[in-house]
Amino acid sequence: MHGVGSEGESAFTFEGTWREYAPIAFTNLLLTIVTLGIYRFWATARTRRYLWSRSRFVDENLEWTGTGKELFFGFLLVVLLVIAPFFILSQVAQALLIRGQSVLGGIVSAMAVLAIYYLGGVARFRAIRYRLSRTRWRGIRGGTDNQGFAYGLSYMWKTFVGTIVFGLMIPWSMTRLWNERWRAMSFGPFPFEADAAWQPVFKRFLLFYLAPLLGFIGMAVVLATGALAGYGMGGDAGAKVGMGLTIVALVLFFYLGLGLIAVAFYAKFYREAVGSTRWRELQFSFEASTGDWVKLLLGDIALVILTLGIGIIFLSYRHWKFFMVHMEASGEILLDELTQSTTRTATHGEGLLDAFDIGAI
Amino acid sequence: MSDPNDAVSAVWYDGVNALRHQGEVHWDRPAVLQLVESNGELLECPLDDLRFAEVIGNRRIYSRSSIPDFRLRLPRELPEDLARLLPAASVYGKWIDRFGLWRAAAVLAVFSAACAALFMTAPQWLGPMIPWSWEQRLGDAMVGNFGNRLCSTPQSDRALAKLLGEIDPGDRRIRVGIANIGIVNAVTLPGGHILLFNGIIQQAKSPDELAGVLAHEVGHVQERHVMTALLRQFGLSILLSGANTNVGNTAFGVASMSYSRAAERQADADARASLARADISPMGAANFFARMANKTGDDGDDASIASWLASHPSSVEREKEFRSSAVSGKKYHPALTPQEFAALKSACKNDKDVQGFDFF
Repeated sequence: MHGVGSEGESAFTFEGTWREYAPIAFTNLLLTIVTLGIYRFWATARTRRYLWSRSRFVDENLEWTGTGKELFFGFLLVVLLVIAPFFILSQVAQALLIRGQSVLGGIVSAMAVLAIYYLGGVARFRAIRYRLSRTRWRGIRGGTDNQGFAYGLSYMWKTFVGTIVFGLMIPWSMTRLWNERWRAMSFGPFPFEADAAWQPVFKRFLLFYLAPLLGFIGMAVVLATGALAGYGMGGDAGAKVGMGLTIVALVLFFYLGLGLIAVAFYAKFYREAVGSTRWRELQFSFEASTGDWVKLLLGDIALVILTLGIGIIFLSYRHWKFFMVHMEASGEILLDELTQSTTRTATHGEGLLDAFDIGAI
Repeated sequence: MSDPNDAVSAVWYDGVNALRHQGEVHWDRPAVLQLVESNGELLECPLDDLRFAEVIGNRRIYSRSSIPDFRLRLPRELPEDLARLLPAASVYGKWIDRFGLWRAAAVLAVFSAACAALFMTAPQWLGPMIPWSWEQRLGDAMVGNFGNRLCSTPQSDRALAKLLGEIDPGDRRIRVGIANIGIVNAVTLPGGHILLFNGIIQQAKSPDELAGVLAHEVGHVQERHVMTALLRQFGLSILLSGANTNVGNTAFGVASMSYSRAAERQADADARASLARADISPMGAANFFARMANKTGDDGDDASIASWLASHPSSVEREKEFRSSAVSGKKYHPALTPQEFAALKSACKNDKDVQGFDFF
């Protein structure tokens, strides 16, 4: 038997450099501009081809085999099958409302919104399917024969149930949906297994509820001290200025604080989700801490601002690198039994996801 | 023919399982690439079956169209005779590779700029091409029936019909009415609806002035300026709204619709031509513009007139143009009799159940 293991060094490594990627990014930008955006699909394929080819799993680089043409057709398909019907449906709803048929009009527009909600779930599923089916490692690819329509329904009711009781069940719906998505996927002949649980991420999630409380207490204290400080410096007028400045600081603090909690929760969720995902003998894990995520996001912001927006073209590179650097796997792969996937491959790209603009993983 | 000694090392995956095959590639047989594994096993790939996949660092990857999952990895630098046999590398995409990046970018930029220009100027060239029946349907949907908001008496209706007939004989598309609005203005709405505001009728010193104003508006209808302006203001979506009754709020937009200066000049030129054809003196229009120029010359105290001027070429210039189009010594006939002119002046006063306009 031939096998490869991942003892010692990391199973996933990223070998790319931004200098090597820059010519790709800039020519993509140029061609996207001169084609009024149409080259975007080919640009995406080129970027992925580069990122995948510089990503090493154990002893062989990945390969992206998706093409710009199929992404383009996926997009056209979405315009034809989703956006056009949605537009017509909302026009019909509007016409009904104007004619005084408010109940019927309401039903039609609710249907349109529900359909978009449903398709959002389907899109997320199909994006993973598409990416797995276009990813080759040692000539072997992944995929699924599941079309994702049932997942769309599950996504709809689980996210709904997740939010009804003050959003308390969001961790449950997120982890359950992660498991559902990944259990449907396979690479080569073997399915992925996922059993992420909501309990480990729940404590982090409670921070969201604690935050406003802490915020209010802090606000009272800080407002008083701000006003006092202002008063000390300039009497009554000073107190007002001091209070005003404090309010600005508080609002900033509140949003930053909430953002930080969201990042902290997401970091934990991601570690739990990936850490509960297996494939055959391989156990995956994701090692990014909240601090790593914050650094990534602050780096993104700094990059985009300092380059007056041009840095946007490097974001996909940064994100993929982040993903690869923190991704780990342990275990052994038996190469003889790793045969080609028999799943059907979709002939068009992740058009739906593109339209809804959601990340795949 | 390759020297068997300088065989190139190769790695391949058969696309069936994940096992790595290592060996050498030989290309001395015609039309076929031989992959010889280190254990001596031979795999033959027809050259025309090979497809370029990508170049990674110092390696290049090929697949096979008959086995899409097959992967052959060769060194990036190949002996020239082998490189010639293999399919060409693709970098930016088939079409762009063929032209080269910079040439393709230049051609695409020119093409895109042309598309953008075509799109931006669409109202101008597309407007006149929209079938008249569409504009009419659109006009009916947008402004509909004016109901009781037009000043109408049997005498004034006859006088208006006569005036229109003088200027625009034989054209049945245009409908003209007196709007119960005190502002000095006249507008052309989609579908050939011309409204002379009561304000402009009250300030007119002669029927020839009204003939000049009406001839100008008729020019807008005939040149299809309305469609052009609609397309400019609402974009192509306006064409869809003919089938939709949800255009109530667009009526406000129609009220604020304006034409370009070039369109105004064209309508003026048309007006002079139709006045000449009808033997009506252009001096009426010239006098009207002279008065406009005076009234708003420096002080501009009359706000209602300012609104008319904002979207129109300078009154002084227009006065000159109309004045110079008058043929000296020619015998013109008045556009309306004094009685008919009086009927227009009194239309709003005598129409007892007329209502106001709410969107002007």
